[in-house]
Amino acid sequence: MMQIIFERAGGFMGRKVSLELNLADLPADQARTLKLLVDESNFINLTDPPPKDSAPDGFTYSITVKTETIRHTINASDTNLPDALRPLLDELVKRSRSH
Amino acid sequence: MSHRHSIFCILPPHMLDQVAQSGTPAQREMAARTLATSTQIRDKRVNLSAALTRGSIAAAGTAQRIVYDAKFGTNLPGVVARKEGDAPVADVAVNEAYDGSGATFDLFSVAFGRNSIDNNGMDLKSTVHYSKGYDNAFWDGQQMVYGDGDEDLSESERLFNRFTKSLDVIGHELTHGVTQYEANLVYKNQQGALNESISDIFGSLVKQYERNQTADAADWIIGEGLFTANVNGVGIRSMRAPGTAYNDPVLGKDPQPAHMKDYLTTSQDNGGVHINSGIINHAFYVTAIEIGGYAWAKAGQIWYKALTEKLNSNSNFQNAADLTFLTAGEIFGLGSLEQLAVKTGWTEVGITVDGTPIPPTEGDGCLKGLMKSLGFAR
Repeated sequence: MMQIIFERAGGFMGRKVSLELNLADLPADQARTLKLLVDESNFINLTDPPPKDSAPDGFTYSITVKTETIRHTINASDTNLPDALRPLLDELVKRSRSH
Repeated sequence: MSHRHSIFCILPPHMLDQVAQSGTPAQREMAARTLATSTQIRDKRVNLSAALTRGSIAAAGTAQRIVYDAKFGTNLPGVVARKEGDAPVADVAVNEAYDGSGATFDLFSVAFGRNSIDNNGMDLKSTVHYSKGYDNAFWDGQQMVYGDGDEDLSESERLFNRFTKSLDVIGHELTHGVTQYEANLVYKNQQGALNESISDIFGSLVKQYERNQTADAADWIIGEGLFTANVNGVGIRSMRAPGTAYNDPVLGKDPQPAHMKDYLTTSQDNGGVHINSGIINHAFYVTAIEIGGYAWAKAGQIWYKALTEKLNSNSNFQNAADLTFLTAGEIFGLGSLEQLAVKTGWTEVGITVDGTPIPPTEGDGCLKGLMKSLGFAR
């Protein structure tokens, strides 16, 4: 079953926010949504975007997707995040900020 | 509280006059130079206080303010929402970005004679409503970008308000632009923390200037108003007391150190640039309080000159200490109250400046120190 590990660092406050999701532990519809977002981003075929000068106070993001056979991580920032990753990122950010 | 140096030790001009007349040639030259410098500084102070009246952006330069709306997307800059000279609009974030960038332009223009971000009339571009649930603001190398905080969460869950709400945040972001065009400090480790601190310093000065506050009346809080009522905190950072801005069950405790002994070595946040900046912030605060009056007039002037003429991309904390001390000596005179205040600021955070201070080391009397400085005593 899929696992998603998310970390957001930097920002004006310099505060790290992280999240670890085991899709097996989530309600089925939520797990399906997340799986779909990962698939639609073509996550496992993405590579880190080319580094850009860090934007002062911008966030940096790290997303890792793990299955029984694959472990893949993408590191990006506010200024170089691939468009394809945006819907997944938005979902992870929202989940990491809810409490 | 550590030892504070006497700030009342000023060389009486009559004594300098006498040295200028009856000392050895080297002593005479030094005394004459000191007298000349004192006169120049007095003149400078008069000029400075005359210049410290409110300016307006239209009168001061060619820079135009443009505020864009990203409409909760991430494409920059977005659509124009208000440009220079336009009347206020219904959107409060747009107006805050407009007014805040104007206030920042004014401080740099009036207090330091700077013409916008690049000192060449560069337009001040801001984008508001960036992304969804974006509890942040940043400088992307060309413009300021602001999120609306936790607008996408239920009210009981919200921790952050919109980031334009805090004037010092706007000043902070714009100052990243100034730094980029000047010292261009690497955004990592000590260089990055110094970069961050410079943005906090001038961001706070923008707010103090706008409120017409002296150093002792200012709150020295960075990000005041960013937290909702759900958070136990007054702001993101405190320059007066780093580490005390918030202490909250969800956000945790403000992690900023106020002293080198608590410097945090970490790989997070580009080496803790938003953490260790507390050390420099506090040094500036102590200096400004020691000098008294409006913090932008003297402490700000020292740091502005250091930023634009002395610091470089690799400057670390020690370099900043040495160079602000040097700069204070250049502007206000060796051994001046202002130069000693800079030294005191750094001492309080555990950094010893590398310079030859006047008055001298502890144990020497005031007079002996002055005699030493003029070469009469060892």
